[in-house]
Amino acid sequence: MRIVACVKACPDTQDITAAPDRTLSFERAQFKVGTYDLNAIEAARALADETGGEAIGLSVGGSALASSKLRKDVLSRGLDAFNVICDDAYSELDSYQSAALLQDALGQLGGYDLVLCGAGSSDVYAQQVGNQLGALLGVPTLNNVHKVSVGSGKAVVERLLESVVQVIEVPLPAVLSLTSASNIPRIPSMKDILAAGKKPVNQLSASAAVPQARVEVKSVLAPEQQSRQLDVYDGDVGAAVAKLASYLKAL
Amino acid sequence: MDFALNDEQELLVQNIRELMASENWEAYFAECDERHEYPERWVKAICELGFDLIMLPAEHGGLDLGLVTLTAVYEELGRWGAPTYVLYQLPCFDTILREGTPEQIEKILAYVGTGKQIWNSACTEPGAGSDVGSLQTTYTRRDGKVYLNGHKTFITSSAKVPYLVVMTRDASQPDVFTEWLVDMSLPGIKVEPLNKLGLRMDSCSEVYLDNVELDESDLFGTEGNGFNRGINDFDFERFLVAACDYGWALSAFEEAARYANIRVQFGKPIGRFQLNQFKFANMAVKVNAMKNMLYETAWSYDQGEMTSAQAAMLKFYCPKAAFEVVDDAIQILGGVAVAGEHRLQRLWRDLRVERISGGTDEMMLLTLAKGVLRQYKD
Repeated sequence: MRIVACVKACPDTQDITAAPDRTLSFERAQFKVGTYDLNAIEAARALADETGGEAIGLSVGGSALASSKLRKDVLSRGLDAFNVICDDAYSELDSYQSAALLQDALGQLGGYDLVLCGAGSSDVYAQQVGNQLGALLGVPTLNNVHKVSVGSGKAVVERLLESVVQVIEVPLPAVLSLTSASNIPRIPSMKDILAAGKKPVNQLSASAAVPQARVEVKSVLAPEQQSRQLDVYDGDVGAAVAKLASYLKAL
Repeated sequence: MDFALNDEQELLVQNIRELMASENWEAYFAECDERHEYPERWVKAICELGFDLIMLPAEHGGLDLGLVTLTAVYEELGRWGAPTYVLYQLPCFDTILREGTPEQIEKILAYVGTGKQIWNSACTEPGAGSDVGSLQTTYTRRDGKVYLNGHKTFITSSAKVPYLVVMTRDASQPDVFTEWLVDMSLPGIKVEPLNKLGLRMDSCSEVYLDNVELDESDLFGTEGNGFNRGINDFDFERFLVAACDYGWALSAFEEAARYANIRVQFGKPIGRFQLNQFKFANMAVKVNAMKNMLYETAWSYDQGEMTSAQAAMLKFYCPKAAFEVVDDAIQILGGVAVAGEHRLQRLWRDLRVERISGGTDEMMLLTLAKGVLRQYKD
């Protein structure tokens, strides 16, 4: 079974800073594999181990994907190989363009059984790429997947809805977007890191023109800072709780 | 000299950071420190990432990544206030591989990856500290067996390790000093743990040896080798002490700097007051000096060129400089650091012990001075 984990190179969110005018600075932020994509990699490895298959990574994007460190990082987390379409022109793709390029790349891989995505990218977090990719491929597509197991030609998927667990059987191939709580991604050991440098990275190229962007970004601003209101309720616990409750109800 | 880390080293540090951020380890450290307990769960977690393979040669299943790599890992662990001092034995397989018999090596390496304490050496006695040659513990041969008798004191890790390398003198030839790898479960061994000011997550005990029966195969290294074995290993231990100290200083420095930027008094952040700026300038000089000295020495070690003087310089400078940095950080944090429990209190206590443990400041100065002058002899 061939399982493909889609990942995105994102700026490290810890090092993105907001200026007083609310604009964001990425100057100090290094690119790393998206936090939520780690769930896709972890699930791909686990399913590949269960089925005796292979877990391969796939990414499309800008020059950040050319970093040897980022590639080794991705591979150290459990993938057997990493496939990339990497071009400076692709550093600001919207969800649709990303999905279209992923579709193009998947077509060049010579077949796949299951495509896994994270809940969303850790920079934009539009949560769209998995669904759009599934639609483009014309295969069963589910998001909010909490658990997945695979059998011959099918996957059994659990989705956590508000008060119930939905269990769905889907034929393969399929595209599934996992929740961030679906597994705990491993922290690679030193041996994993050293082994990553010896795993294959396949550089692909887009075989068709990338479609026009469907989303126009007007501006990206940090939320407006609000001063603390410093409403303190003290004294008798019962009275303070009642005040807090009425405050929260009125929000 | 290029100290830039390569991809693999950077990823290693990044993953250590991920592990340290994965849970509130500080609460675990505080609990272990209070109970004088070895933080085995944490050591196991870093060993699962391969910590104890960093310097182990490839033929023994290790990664042989060198001391610069280990230093980068210590730096990151220290930054989180981790009790790196409990790790002394883990990178020191060099001693066992150099001196041990194949059977002894097998026994020790069986613990790799477990996170458990493995071994330590016992030299100090009530009457023999820096002057190790005056020790009184003896070995006596009788009926094909060897018997140890004596009293060791302030023996690090001895309450937890399965093996202790014990330095003894021959009862029949008092000028012959020999070491033995002692299985701590043998009859005749009594261990009495001591309370201490700092470094509490590693035990420190009195060890009484009363007719402890050994076999000739328990001889460690060469009979009569005296203190020659220890000289190289002391240098390595001194390096590791300094690596711990630098990491903790960095941790305190960064915390104090962040705090000084947000703590507002008299209408401005306290980092804007010159008296505090003076502290930060001095702290930065010390942190930077420690870092450079440490990486340079690690690089020398990896080239096979680390000298006793270099190790002594580190062991003299780093505990003292790191203590001063942590002390200044406490001053900056004020009540936050001294009221209740704060990580800096633990680091401050640990660092005070570091100036004594593993060789006192005074002995370091003597070793350093000898080494420096020897370099210019003739």
